[in-house]
Amino acid sequence: MNRVLGDWRAITILLGPALLVYTLVMLVPILWSLGYTVFEGNPITGFTFVGFDNLAHLFTDPRVLEALVFTLKYAFVLTVLQVVFGYLLSLMYVFWLRRASGLVRTLVFFPVVLPTVAVALLFQKLFEIVPQNGLVNSLLNTVGIPSVDWFSSPDSAFWVIIMMDVWRSMGFYAVLLYAGLVDIPEETLESARLDGASGWKLVRHIVIPLSLPVLLSSIIFSINGTLKVFDSILALTNGGPGSATTPLTLYMYQTSFTYGEYGYGSSIALLLTILCLIVTIFIFRSSRRDLTKG
Amino acid sequence: MTTAAKNVRRRVVPVAALIGAGTLLLTACSGSGDGSGGSAPTEFSYLSLAENTAVQDTLTGLSTGACATQQEALPLSITTQPQAGIDQQLQLLGGQGALPVVFAAGNSPQVIKDLDSGGQVLDIGSTFDDLGIADDIIPAAKSTIEALYGSQIVLPTEFNVEGIWYNKKIFADNGIQAPATWDDLLAASDSLKAAGVTPLSTAGKDGWPVTRLLGNYIYRTLGPDAMQKVADGEAKLTDPEYVAAAQAVADLGAAGDFGPSVGSIDYTTAVNQFVNGEAGMFYMGSWILSVFNDPAQNKIGAENIGFIPFPEVEGGGGSSDQLAANIGVPLGMSASAYDEKVGDWLTCIGDNFGTDSLKNQGVITGFTVNTPVADLPPLTQTIQDAAAASPESVLWFEALFNAKATSTSQTNGSQLATGALSPADFMAKVQADLGN
Amino acid sequence: MSSTALATPVRTPTDVRPPRRRSPRGRRILKALPKIIVIGVLLITVVYPLFWLLMGSFKTQDEFLNSPTWALPETWTFDNYIEAWTTGNLGTYVRNSILATAPALFLTIVFGVAAGFALEVMVWKGRGVVLLAFLAGIMVPGQMILLPLFTIYFKTGLTGSLLPLIITYTAIGLPLTVFMMATYFRSVPREIFEAATLDGASIFRTFRSIGFPLVKNAIFTVALVQFFFIWNDLLIALTFTTRSDLRTIQVGLLNFTGQFGQVQYGPTFAAICINVFGTLVLYLILNQRVMKGLTAGAVK
Repeated sequence: MNRVLGDWRAITILLGPALLVYTLVMLVPILWSLGYTVFEGNPITGFTFVGFDNLAHLFTDPRVLEALVFTLKYAFVLTVLQVVFGYLLSLMYVFWLRRASGLVRTLVFFPVVLPTVAVALLFQKLFEIVPQNGLVNSLLNTVGIPSVDWFSSPDSAFWVIIMMDVWRSMGFYAVLLYAGLVDIPEETLESARLDGASGWKLVRHIVIPLSLPVLLSSIIFSINGTLKVFDSILALTNGGPGSATTPLTLYMYQTSFTYGEYGYGSSIALLLTILCLIVTIFIFRSSRRDLTKG
Repeated sequence: MTTAAKNVRRRVVPVAALIGAGTLLLTACSGSGDGSGGSAPTEFSYLSLAENTAVQDTLTGLSTGACATQQEALPLSITTQPQAGIDQQLQLLGGQGALPVVFAAGNSPQVIKDLDSGGQVLDIGSTFDDLGIADDIIPAAKSTIEALYGSQIVLPTEFNVEGIWYNKKIFADNGIQAPATWDDLLAASDSLKAAGVTPLSTAGKDGWPVTRLLGNYIYRTLGPDAMQKVADGEAKLTDPEYVAAAQAVADLGAAGDFGPSVGSIDYTTAVNQFVNGEAGMFYMGSWILSVFNDPAQNKIGAENIGFIPFPEVEGGGGSSDQLAANIGVPLGMSASAYDEKVGDWLTCIGDNFGTDSLKNQGVITGFTVNTPVADLPPLTQTIQDAAAASPESVLWFEALFNAKATSTSQTNGSQLATGALSPADFMAKVQADLGN
Repeated sequence: MSSTALATPVRTPTDVRPPRRRSPRGRRILKALPKIIVIGVLLITVVYPLFWLLMGSFKTQDEFLNSPTWALPETWTFDNYIEAWTTGNLGTYVRNSILATAPALFLTIVFGVAAGFALEVMVWKGRGVVLLAFLAGIMVPGQMILLPLFTIYFKTGLTGSLLPLIITYTAIGLPLTVFMMATYFRSVPREIFEAATLDGASIFRTFRSIGFPLVKNAIFTVALVQFFFIWNDLLIALTFTTRSDLRTIQVGLLNFTGQFGQVQYGPTFAAICINVFGTLVLYLILNQRVMKGLTAGAVK
């Protein structure tokens, strides 16, 4: 048996194409890029060797700190909100709407598949103040609150980004967590109900502990995605006002392609990769530990 | 899987080493394959900004008209790149030594300067001399190009003068004179505010309309070499006289002269405010003439629009006849792709571009208009006269900055106007990215 | 366990429903009221912006700038759509998006499924390392590979065609596909494959007649996940499309902004509507599988 399942010729044929494409188009460029971290310059001006200057500069550049803080804040806030909203929705699907949840699930899920550029433009117009009040300011005006210039202050711009991404992704996390909730055996719930648990108590003591693995993996999945946020911020605020909503990815892109500093850009990418690596190792481990049981 | 997972740590190091070796090999190979340029071009390739259609249309028009023979020998082929990706594209193409024959010079002058110091860009000044068409570029455009790039390495497919456009009717109704000094401008703004009109429509969201005011103010107070001094490191933006200029712009914002929510007003909105009579003044370049001359967009009528240069600041070293000028997104040319056929094209462009562009696109260029164009809109005529009468031009705030400082200045411009960033902090941020 | 349940680890909820309790008609409506309100608010949040987008696509530039945002369009003409389709070149962009997405999707799936099989079902030393190497690709930011790739494509003369897009999408899709397929194969009991090989089936036959059918549903879902990733990509398309006739629809959406930042709102909205509602139709047809697919990979 192991002769067939361990046939090297077959392994080469099955794995070869994927590994070849992946190595040439992903791994080689990644390492190539890492090589740039010890150089300064760009393809036009040529490269000069600077050793570890770029990496050292990471620690003194105030914009790296600003971008890092923004990235972490964004990843944390969005992860919490995405997962909380998603969890509430999924609880609603399973315990409240039940059979009727199909259509709601479908519609709430829909924003997930919309193109980012389109969603960003939509939200720009929704939160607009000039030339015409967008929908949000119009609503504020009808309840007597004056219009807010959402994109001109770092805090409000941050929350618009968060709102947009929650709107986009809550349906996704709802379905993700829903998949975990329906896996809870009905007998467990029924016996808890017989013991007098209901409502919040049931959720608190039975549902949350039992859906913890899938909850945990959604959190990690969300952090890994939010750390790499690029398209949605580029299209919505382009990192502004000033550089107040610039995540590491955008700063890296600007550094390489707008400022023409490839070496430093690659160093920022390295920092980001290390950040993601920590999270991914966490995923890898927790997925081994908690999720392969089923 | 569990057994496989255990093996992971032990195996990573050799695999990484193997791949690393492969990378080195690949890099080494790619180094030798350099120099793809040099061979004669088979097309008159032009890399345009996707957003700029005027130059594309003019070149296409020439290819079927005045330059039909050149088109026969070397057909025009236009590719476009959105403005957001043009610098990146030029860096990538330049890195391969594979620039198109003609290309839009990028968002920051630095890109083409870098390309030039790598010897990749055609010296257009001496080429025009060789071709005997040196007179095809107007002197004002020549001096702007030299101020900007140090030498003539681009084609001025636009020549814009900038200044303040004002609504003659609103000014007359409120008894306001066109301001000649900065104090006049402040007084006019107060009158306009009292009349319920936004004094100075400004696209704060885009940043650059704010920093244009800043640049002009610096030129008016410190003279036409003020920004060159910063570029040379003889002065710093954080020096008090420069910060004072930023303060003057911030004061406009604080006084409400830009109207409410300046940080969210984009270009379209700012233009719209002015052409709907909601604003008394509007700082903009002469490219805006195409909107002003279009009755469908311009509700106040071209006859109601006046133009004044940026006013003088009392006691300042600059003068208001030093008009701010720019050459739009000019075109650079590849040195290695230049040959006789390209030269023929260039001669034809030099002789005809100015006329064709003015006649068919209404765009004033830095090329000589060799055949007078009849029936020019009066406002366009006025601007062309003003440009011709200007003895000296000045640049804009970011003109001599590197890409990083340019981007910092423009992205933070809105914050300067809204007061979210203090003038001193703004100037310090930009100075920090200038790197000198 | 049925083969469907094996292939898609997300269980369908139909089998875990509690019996429905009956109550008098009036009380049932009253009881349903909060439910209706909550669902209503939720749907308005999701659907109204899209409705507003649709309305916007019929408005003129003047209405955008000078009329309240909630106002309905004054006239119902398709001018913006015509403008978007012709000036915006949307026809070409849609074609390019399809031409880039379809082959990339096909290759990602074929390579990914085969690799997933080789990594999970077959027994050999070093497969953990390879799987980890694939996993590494999930966490690296995409911006990092742009410059080297541009150089590679240029040297190999691929620039100026859709091939760089197809190749890059294939490679970027592989880590997730391989990882998800490995996960699906892991949920198939090993005895099935072992029995097949004991019966004398060759490995390719085992793959084709046993492995492949078992994960058919999973393949479909992974394909859909990848489809939306590729279709909605902006970064790679922006970098590798050097000619306007190669541009994809996402890059094309940027085209409605002018050189000085002026925006043609009407045609922009029309172009977005074409994109969004095209996606909507596809999504409604395939929605159950999309949802399973998008989430199944993440759970494992």
